[in-house]
Amino acid sequence: MKAFKEKTAFCFPGQLQEKPMLEDHHSLRGDPHFKELLKRASSQTKFDLLNFSSGGEKKEDDLSLKLQIATYLLSMIHFYRLRTAGWIPDIFAEHSMGIYSALAASEAISFEEGLFITEAIGRLLKREGAIHRGGMASIIGLPLEEIQKICQDLNGFQLSIANYNGSMHFVLSGEEGGVEKAISLALSRKAVSATRLAFNTALHSPLLHSLREEIIEILQDIKIQPLKVPILNHWTIKPLRREEIKDFISQEIGRPVYWIRCVEKLLEEGFTQFIEVGYEASLTKLMRWIDREVEAFSAGDRL
Amino acid sequence: MVELNDRLIEKIKQLIIQRLKLVDMTPEMIENDAPLFGEGLGLDSIDALELVLGLEKEFGVIIPDAEVGKKVFQSVRTMAQYVLEHQGTA
Repeated sequence: MKAFKEKTAFCFPGQLQEKPMLEDHHSLRGDPHFKELLKRASSQTKFDLLNFSSGGEKKEDDLSLKLQIATYLLSMIHFYRLRTAGWIPDIFAEHSMGIYSALAASEAISFEEGLFITEAIGRLLKREGAIHRGGMASIIGLPLEEIQKICQDLNGFQLSIANYNGSMHFVLSGEEGGVEKAISLALSRKAVSATRLAFNTALHSPLLHSLREEIIEILQDIKIQPLKVPILNHWTIKPLRREEIKDFISQEIGRPVYWIRCVEKLLEEGFTQFIEVGYEASLTKLMRWIDREVEAFSAGDRL
Repeated sequence: MVELNDRLIEKIKQLIIQRLKLVDMTPEMIENDAPLFGEGLGLDSIDALELVLGLEKEFGVIIPDAEVGKKVFQSVRTMAQYVLEHQGTA
């Protein structure tokens, strides 16, 4: 047993890129939090996580929306599991749409309100994708300067950096036509990998600024409660203040995610444990690249 | 083709475990010819970046681009073969 209390950050990931596999023998299936939250979710939304997971829903039109809701539910289930197992976080960090589960876990909003926001903004993004089709590409193995050059060399297509995930890992977002061009440029300039992500909207790019007013409307009846655990704002690198939360949510989908900045700040502050509150280990892998020595794991892998 | 030996295969497995921090795995659990990505060991492109850096640091071997990476990272055996053929040529 350690003689001192380690500083622990819970990290809430953004949208899953693939359907979660929750087969009959999966350890989550027998978990009481899993059963309870799925029941509560099904009374509010038509989304069925188990049906989605098993591939029962063939229609792919709503794939992004379903992945967003699935991500939210799985993060909340893992959060309650961690809490039951005795883990006590000192701060929350969040990546992209991980903000909704981070807010619900901090009790700034309820589980149901978080689900409502996730679904409502997801539907807005779906509509936006149908009108102005956009896309996103993950580029791994090129430094920032190369990524910036790629954005300038797209023959007029507008793409911008949507995620600063690590010194060699960025996500670009913007006009659909520019995505394939960016991927091909990245590969020709020796990227280790350049792949399209499962989004048909230009998430975290200025092209989505126009949705801000509609998001404010979605949030208007929600009363933000005092946060039980602080959430780090990755733009200011300070804890998100209660009064700025609605504004943060309304702007978030049109601005980049500065994940690396967020993690570096926490490391500076002496955080030594980073626990990913989700199904996958995407943030845990990013952590490994930023600081190999620190303890990082995903609740989905360990619990 | 230069012949592979068990020691190099073992070193490649150790490299995978250490770089990717696969704390619950041992070299014996990784098969020489099993796919590393997707259905096999389940690695992804972020893992590939770690392996690129690991090969460079540990063996001085460069993976010049994604196309070569795709071929090299098929399995432990293809990684070892690439190291054997390119060590000292960088």
